Amino acid sequence: MKNQAFIKLSGRKDNKRIPSRVLEEIIHHHIKNGRRNIEVEGYGQHGIGGRLWDAGADETHIRIIGQSGQRAGSFGHFGTRIEIMGPASDDVGWLNAGAEIIVHGNASNGVMNGAAQGKVYIGGSIGARGMTMTKRNPRFEPPELWVLGSSGDYFGEFMAGGIAVICGHNKDPKASVLGYRPLVGMVGGRVFARGNIEGFSQKDAKPISVSDEDWNWLMTGLEVFLSKIQKKELLPSLSIRSDWQLIEARSAREKTDSSEKPSMARFRNQVWDRELGRGGLIGDLEEIERGSIPVITRGDLRRYIPVWEQGRYMAPCEAACPTGIPVQERWSMVRQDNVDEAIAMGLQYTPFPATVCGWLCPSPCMASCTRNQNHMSPINVKLLGKAGETVKLPKTAPKSKKKIAVIGAGPGGISAAWQLTLKGHTATLFDTGDTIGGKISSVIPGSRIPKDTLETELKRVKEFIPDIRLGQAMDKKDFLKIKYDYDFTIVAAGAKKPRMLPVPGIEHAVSANDFLEAAKKDKAKPGKRVVIIGAGNVGCDVATEAHRLGAKTITLIDIQKPAAFGKEKEDAEAVGATFRWPCFTKEITKAGVVLTDGEVLKADTVVVSIGDVPDLTFLDESIKTEKGFIFVDAYNRTSDPRVFAIGDAVGPGLITDAIGAGRKAAIVIDRIIDGKSPDGDAPLPRIDKQRISLEYYNPKNRADTLKDCGSDCASCGKCKDCGICVAVCPEGAIERIEKDKQGFEYRVDPDLCIGCGFCKGACPCGIWDLIPNAAL
Amino acid sequence: MSSNRSLEPSALSLNDLPWQIRYSNDRCTLCGQCTAVCPVQAIELKVFQKRILKTSVQPEKKHTADYDSFYGIRQKTRVENACIGCAMCAMVCPNDAIAPVKNPGLDRLKFHINQNGIPRRRGGRRNSSQSVLDRIKFIRISMLTDPALDAGRHEFEMRTLLGRVLSPRENMKRLKEKGWIPPVREIYPLIIGGMSFGALSPTMWEGLQMGVAYLNEELSMPVRICTGEGGCPPRLLRSRFLKYVILQIASGYFGWDEIIHAIPHMKEDPCAIEIKYGQGAKPGDGGLLMWHKVNKLIAAIRGVPQGVSLPSPPTHQTQYSIEESVAKMILSMSMAWGFRVPVYPKISASSTSLAVLNNLARNDYASGLAIDGEDGGTGAAYTVSMDHMGHPIASCIRDNYLNLIKIGKQNEIPIFAGGGVGKNGNLSANAAALIMLGASGVQIGKYAMQAAAGCVGTEEDRCNVCNLGICPKGITSQDPRLYRRLDPEDVAQRIVDLFVSFDTELKKIVAPLGRSTSLPIGMSDALGIDDLAAAERLSIKYVV
Repeated sequence: MKNQAFIKLSGRKDNKRIPSRVLEEIIHHHIKNGRRNIEVEGYGQHGIGGRLWDAGADETHIRIIGQSGQRAGSFGHFGTRIEIMGPASDDVGWLNAGAEIIVHGNASNGVMNGAAQGKVYIGGSIGARGMTMTKRNPRFEPPELWVLGSSGDYFGEFMAGGIAVICGHNKDPKASVLGYRPLVGMVGGRVFARGNIEGFSQKDAKPISVSDEDWNWLMTGLEVFLSKIQKKELLPSLSIRSDWQLIEARSAREKTDSSEKPSMARFRNQVWDRELGRGGLIGDLEEIERGSIPVITRGDLRRYIPVWEQGRYMAPCEAACPTGIPVQERWSMVRQDNVDEAIAMGLQYTPFPATVCGWLCPSPCMASCTRNQNHMSPINVKLLGKAGETVKLPKTAPKSKKKIAVIGAGPGGISAAWQLTLKGHTATLFDTGDTIGGKISSVIPGSRIPKDTLETELKRVKEFIPDIRLGQAMDKKDFLKIKYDYDFTIVAAGAKKPRMLPVPGIEHAVSANDFLEAAKKDKAKPGKRVVIIGAGNVGCDVATEAHRLGAKTITLIDIQKPAAFGKEKEDAEAVGATFRWPCFTKEITKAGVVLTDGEVLKADTVVVSIGDVPDLTFLDESIKTEKGFIFVDAYNRTSDPRVFAIGDAVGPGLITDAIGAGRKAAIVIDRIIDGKSPDGDAPLPRIDKQRISLEYYNPKNRADTLKDCGSDCASCGKCKDCGICVAVCPEGAIERIEKDKQGFEYRVDPDLCIGCGFCKGACPCGIWDLIPNAAL
Repeated sequence: MSSNRSLEPSALSLNDLPWQIRYSNDRCTLCGQCTAVCPVQAIELKVFQKRILKTSVQPEKKHTADYDSFYGIRQKTRVENACIGCAMCAMVCPNDAIAPVKNPGLDRLKFHINQNGIPRRRGGRRNSSQSVLDRIKFIRISMLTDPALDAGRHEFEMRTLLGRVLSPRENMKRLKEKGWIPPVREIYPLIIGGMSFGALSPTMWEGLQMGVAYLNEELSMPVRICTGEGGCPPRLLRSRFLKYVILQIASGYFGWDEIIHAIPHMKEDPCAIEIKYGQGAKPGDGGLLMWHKVNKLIAAIRGVPQGVSLPSPPTHQTQYSIEESVAKMILSMSMAWGFRVPVYPKISASSTSLAVLNNLARNDYASGLAIDGEDGGTGAAYTVSMDHMGHPIASCIRDNYLNLIKIGKQNEIPIFAGGGVGKNGNLSANAAALIMLGASGVQIGKYAMQAAAGCVGTEEDRCNVCNLGICPKGITSQDPRLYRRLDPEDVAQRIVDLFVSFDTELKKIVAPLGRSTSLPIGMSDALGIDDLAAAERLSIKYVV
């Protein structure tokens, strides 16, 4: 069979081209009949020489003369040999699966497109898109394409396997033998090329050196190729090793790893900074270090920094105390086991720690205690106050030669004289009455303050202030004399003149002060029914005393909602007093109080308790008054700069207000004596209560001993030295530094701190704050 | 929070806040990183109290109720410390113990963010994820009809023209008569829109510029970037990179004396001059760079003293009509560079934009029109302007393009579209849709910030504090402690990634249209939308 002669078939019959389908049938008919050598005269029929698998394992040789048509040898089969004696049309060897195809002329576009096996030998050049989408199936040898001349454009697109050899014979050396944009998308296979290979896709393929093994393979194959196309004479000219180059597909890994683009860092150094100058875009205006900083930074790069604000804020209790007692500092002493010192400290601020702080004061300090915020009981300052009863006299400063007269020995006047004495000045107390203590001793009911306590403290005052002149009538002349005899004068005459109602029958009523004074001496006889006009705290005191002295029906009336509060009100209610408002008094008769609506409130005694006004008849004209009270400036100085005024003579207030004003006036006078400005240091701002962490304390604790109060005090704004911040700091940046004189400080190492504010969040006392770092 | 407190109207609970911190005490290491990094101090360490009850029904056993304290992270509820959802806490937390979660619907903060009578201002975006552009599909795919192109294999010329293109007849006439022919630039159709030096941090600005230079010089992509109104660093003005830059002039004229001083020293002409009349995010409103942001660097670049507030009014003074704005302003700016540089206005999308376009059409010096839609971003604006003012970009571009067709000048004046392009991440699809609706190119801003610098802003009112200078990523801050978090080199690299990938995607869209050498500008037969009204309004196909 092998030597069987060629059977000649024509693609034309009766001078007409036969259809591709019919020629196909004829060829297959002969193959089935055992013919293995067929010469076909083609007239452009499609797919001549393809799909000859009916021949089985036999070798089949198809020779095509004439026009071969498109896709000659497509689906080519192992054992098939196709020889095209002239040029070939498009897609020679398309989807070749094993055939050997020889073209003795040029081949146009698409040579071997999609081929997976077989060999195609082209004796000329090829058109565009040759060797595209070729593959290699590992079960078989790879497909091979041998081209004597060169390739057209887009050679080897998406080539996934196989070997192409482009000999570049007779090619213009300047033009690429692989045409325009070859090997785009190449993922496998190799290309041997002789000549200029510029322009292939560097992204997909790379030139590699030709090894001896490659060279031997090429030379062996070349000899075969040249003999197939009958151009053996070209062998020597094509066998110059240096003329050949080998291109290989890049591996997938290489494609992802390798970047033919320069790195941005290189671009920045070599191009960007070179054109713009060192430091880039704004290097001439600002120096910015290269690279980025971490999100969490330390040192100068922190956005926020912690500050230990020890002593920068005033505790709410101290800020609320009109007398200005540094309440929480005293509790701090208690915590440090300096209980005696804490108690004694009271006398530096007030002559009446027990009487006022312990008993009579409504305790604004406790009302403002931070603990109230969480419904926790305020720290009980009354314990500390009461403990002050037994404290011995404080030491005074060295004596000065200055003399100050204080007119009025009530709580305000005593406070002023007390403070002046502490500071070494000589204070003289004048009073028209025969006792000291003013309203504390004369009008405040005994139920509100134990007699012993008051007496002890008054005795201490008398010891401390030797020059107390009682029973001193005071008129203008006396006042002028005092004013000129003394360096300074403080008017603390109080408000002793009761305000009475301008209604008919007012003579049937008694003032609250007169009633209380008489009651205190058990001389008042109120009868069964008492009506009190004015339902303030003094009115309540009247009610309590009236009850003590036998009254059964006690009514407090007011034109508005009663102003009474606290202990006084509770006491009045406890004795069954009733509050009525609004009630407007028309007149007072023997029967009682007649209201404007005609109602008569029957009373054995009518007490008017609508406040007191000062009796200022003794003042000379240089002292300005306003609405019945002495006019003072912010330093409690009157219109005469050497005369000060405090207490109820200036305006109604609490006892603690009067004590505070006395202290303040004394401080101002002391500063003036010292030749200083009357302004002392500005008071510290009150601490923001939100800064305090109360969660460290048992909210149900109601401390009733000094020790417990000390430990439950949140020490607002004053470091408890607990060291919690040191423990909490995640970076270990906080250190406790021991300073001289028992002092200490918590200090932050900026190189460790990250500015998280944990110290602030954990601090029980609100000492730590987190503030914006200074601008860079 | 104090339990013994009175309620103020603006006292908020955690439930009222738009972003809520989800925190796990069990996982927390109390390392302090979250509180250190939080840009608004929304979280803090707190001491908490716990009541431990031990009880028994056995009468002989005593009941106890003890208190104990423990530490944890607490979210603050004050208006000024409300969490902005940036999730920097989650980013730094070593144990994934903390993260903000969007309140699904009980946000009451918006009723209280006008303390002291100052309405809310913010940076960022409109905070609406709706997008007509996202709904537009490319329905014309070549299936054996046109020469189907392969985005991966074929060569594409993704270029557009910025400049006035004369009609062929007019062009020939002027060539013959040696008349003036308007300058035209062939540029990449995706432009980085105007974001000023000042609105952006120095590192961000440099990163964007560096990326653009790289794209031009290493990858031959003629990408252009607009300076925004804040001047231009002197070094850039005097470098060859200036040709990649569109200089913006706006009502504040900041930095323009420095630009004028630099003109004699310029190696290259700038790409173009953009005259800003409006911003899509806050149409009809101006800008104000607060004095505290005007540091040494900003002051030098804008040519002003340090520490003064810099207002950009809503309008240009001395320009009282369209005619005047177009004629006077465009002519001046063209003259500055000897009529070699294209000059075009940028306006907020508006129902009045056709009037502007028609005016430009009559003026040879006008090189184009940029229109910024309501979804554009801003460094600072009143919320009411951002949320409720402006015009969607798609219909505005379409109206303008169809108007150009009507007057036969669709190939003569390019329209550039901006505002929300890629706001939901679909950059190339949005850009291609706008191009096919009639835009010659698109401008992006927020997308670049998100892709190139990791801006955390979303359409869910996340972060949006660009106006406060506390940008957690250092993109819009002038504080070196923040902007040094950003390395310009990284930004530049991401800009390159963005453009290269955009280029691939754009090709994927235009290849099936058989377009490889010119952009499918106005090729609206390729577009469809599943909404009849929108399809009719945009004159595109209704597809369901």
